[in-house]
Amino acid sequence: MRKSSRRSAILATVGWLAVGIGAEMAPAIAAEDALRVGMVPDAGATQVSIEEKAPLRDYLAKALGRPVALIIPTNYNATVEALGNGSLDFAYLGGLTYVKAHERYGVVPLVQRDSDREFHSLFITAANSPVRTLRDLKGKRFAFGDINSTSGHLMPYAALAESGIDAETDLNYRYTGSHPATAKAVEAGIVDAGAIDESVYKAMLADHKLDAAKLRIFYTTPAFVDYVWVARKDVGQKERDAFTAAFLQLDKAQNGNILAILRGDKFVRATDAEYGDLRKIAQELKLF
Amino acid sequence: MSAGALPGFLGEFLPPDLSIGYLEALARPVMQTLGMAAGGMLIACAVGLPLGLVIATGAAGTRLLYELLAGLRAIPDLTLAILCVVVFGIGPPAGMLALAIFYTAMVGKVFADLFLSAEPGPLEALRTTGASRAQVALFGYIPLKLKDLLTHGCYSFECAVRAAVIVGAVGGGGLGTELVGTLNAFDYHRATTLILILVLIMSLLDKASALIRRAPRLVFLLFPAGAAGLWLYRPDLVAIGHALSAFSSMLPPRLPAAAIARIPRLLGETVATAAGGTALAVVLALPLGLAAARNLAPSALAQAIRLVLETLRGVPEVVWGLVLVSLIGIGPFAGLVALGLHSAGVLGKLYGESFENVRLAPVQAIEATGATRLSVACFALVPLASGPMAVHTLFRLEWNLRAATVLGMIGAGGIGEALYEAQQLFFYREMMAYILITWAIISLSDGLGQRLRQRLGWAEVPALR
Repeated sequence: MRKSSRRSAILATVGWLAVGIGAEMAPAIAAEDALRVGMVPDAGATQVSIEEKAPLRDYLAKALGRPVALIIPTNYNATVEALGNGSLDFAYLGGLTYVKAHERYGVVPLVQRDSDREFHSLFITAANSPVRTLRDLKGKRFAFGDINSTSGHLMPYAALAESGIDAETDLNYRYTGSHPATAKAVEAGIVDAGAIDESVYKAMLADHKLDAAKLRIFYTTPAFVDYVWVARKDVGQKERDAFTAAFLQLDKAQNGNILAILRGDKFVRATDAEYGDLRKIAQELKLF
Repeated sequence: MSAGALPGFLGEFLPPDLSIGYLEALARPVMQTLGMAAGGMLIACAVGLPLGLVIATGAAGTRLLYELLAGLRAIPDLTLAILCVVVFGIGPPAGMLALAIFYTAMVGKVFADLFLSAEPGPLEALRTTGASRAQVALFGYIPLKLKDLLTHGCYSFECAVRAAVIVGAVGGGGLGTELVGTLNAFDYHRATTLILILVLIMSLLDKASALIRRAPRLVFLLFPAGAAGLWLYRPDLVAIGHALSAFSSMLPPRLPAAAIARIPRLLGETVATAAGGTALAVVLALPLGLAAARNLAPSALAQAIRLVLETLRGVPEVVWGLVLVSLIGIGPFAGLVALGLHSAGVLGKLYGESFENVRLAPVQAIEATGATRLSVACFALVPLASGPMAVHTLFRLEWNLRAATVLGMIGAGGIGEALYEAQQLFFYREMMAYILITWAIISLSDGLGQRLRQRLGWAEVPALR
C-alpha cells in the first residue's frame, strides 16, 4: 500500500510537470509570429488584468492581420527595457517613461488619446480628512504610484514643490506601484493622501471599485501631456502605419468596449515635440 | 495602522479565490516558476558538483575558485534577477539565468564544504591504493557524502523554487509577478490563493525530497524537468547586443554626493532589520524546534508544529514582506517581522532536526538514569545539538543580512530600497554602486561568519585546507 501510494505520488508529479510543459510550449510555438504589445502596469499587472483586456488584443490582431500577444510587465522600467532588448514591438507608455524610452532606445511615438494632450493628476484623501490643500500634507503619509509614473509621481511631485512642499523632507511617502493601489491605499487609510491618474480614478469610480463617499479630491494639477503608444525603433513602417490606423479608427459607437478598456473617447496622432516641457520638468526634478 | 484594524484586514485575506477560472489562469505562472527553478538548478548542479569536487580534491587554484564562489554567492538572488532583467529582458529567461548563477555558486560552495568535512580515513585508504584524484572523487567523496549531498541538493532545490517566485517580483515572470500584481491591487483574496499554492508546492517538494533521500535514484526524475525548463527559457540570442550595451551602461559605478551621505543610515537600517529578524526567529524557533523533534514531543504535537513550520518556511521572506508592507506600512519594521517569520520556520525545522540527529549514546545514558523527557532535553539534547544549532543560527544571520537588502527592494527600507529606486529610474551606474556596496557588506559578513566558525572549531562547516 505504502509503496503504491508513493509510486502514484511520483506519477502525479511527473504528470503535472508534463502538463505544465505542454501548456508552456503550445503558446511559445504559436506566438512565434505574434506581435508583442506591452502596456505599463498603470492599472496592475496580473493574469486577470490581461484577461480583461482580451477584446483589445483580439481587435488589434484582426486589424493587423497577425496574432497579438498582450504583455503587462511588472513595472514601468521593465516595459521600457523590453522595448530596448526587443521583447516588445509596441507599447503603451506614460509620458515620463516615453521620454526615457525615446532617449535610451529611440522609440517612435504613434498615437494617444485626445485626453492625453491635456491630462491631469488628482490629489485624493479620505472624505473626512482634515487635508484641504497641498500645504496641509506636511508630515502626512502620502502615496505616489509607480516611481516612473507621470501622473502618479512626476507631475504631483512638481506640484508639491511648486506649493513649497519638499516630498523628501516634508512627507512620509511610499510608491504603491500602480494607480489603483494608490486609490485603495487612501481608501483603506494606509496613507493620508495620494496622487492618482484622473482617467484611472474616474474608471474605478464608474466600475464601483472605489467607494465615492469615502474619498475626496482636494487638488487637481495643471494640464500636462501624458500617455502614448509607441513602436520599437526596428518595427517596420508598414506595421507602424497599421497599428496607428487601428487606433485612429476606434469609434465610440462601434468599439465602445475597447475604448472603455483604454479609458478614452478618441485617438489622435502623437509627436515627440509635445514632450519638451515634460522633459524639462523631469530633468529639474532629477528623475531623468 | 492601529491594532484594532488588523482583524478586519485579516478578514480581507479570507476566503481565498478558488474559482476554476482563476486557478486555470494560474497554471501558466505556476509552471513558469517551477520551470525556472528546475532549469536553473540543473545548470547549478551540472556546474556546482564538479566545482565542489575540484575544490575538495585540492587541485591547483582551488583557493581562488572557492573565494570566487563565495564572492558570487554574496550577490543576492533578487539583485541578480534585477541585473538579468535589465540585461536579458523581462520574463522567465532572465529569472532562470539569475537562479542558475546564484545556485551554481551556492551548490558549488556548499558541496565543497561538505566534501571537505568527509572522514579522512577512507579517503586516505583510497589514495594509498594509488587512486587518481578523479577516482578519489568518484569512489571516495561522493559515496561518503551522498546522503548530505542529497539533503543539501533537495534543500537548495526548495530554495530555488522559493527564489523563482521572488525573482518574478522584479519581472522574472511566474507566480511572483502575479503576486506583486494582486498585492499592488490590494486583491488579498487572490494573494491568499497564491500563498496557499506556494505553501502547497513547498510541502510537495518537501515530500519529494524525503522520497529522494530514501531512494536516491529518483533524483534523475528531476533531470527531464530541468531540461524542459532550460529549453523553454533559453535566453534569446538576438538580445545579446542589447545585453552588452545595457551592461556597459552600468559602468563605471557612480554615486552622487547626496547619495553617499545617505549610505550609513541605509546600511544601519539594513543591518538592524537582519539582526532583529534573526533574534525574533530564534525566540520563536527554540520552543517550536523542541516541539517538532519527533524523539521529544508527542507525535501528534510534532506533526502539527511541523505543519506550522512548513507554512512559515514555505512563504519566502519577500512574500511575507509584501504582505506585511501592505498591512503595517513601509519601513524596516515590516522587513524585520518578515525575516522573523520565515526564519522561525527555517530554524525551527533545523533545530528540530538537530535534536533528532544527536548521537544516541549520551542521550540513552541520561535516559537510563530515569530522567524525564524535559531533563533529557535540557541535559543531553540541547547541549549535544548546540553546535549544529549555533551553526544554523549564524548561517541564518548571514542569510538574513542578504535577505534584508532584498526586502528593501519591496519597501522595507535600507540599502535595497535605494538600489531598487536607482534601477527603476534607469540610473544604472548608481544601481551598480549600490550592488557593489551590498556585495561588499555581505562578503564581509560571510567572511566574519567563516572566521568565527573556524575559531570555535565547529566541525560541521570546516575551514578550507
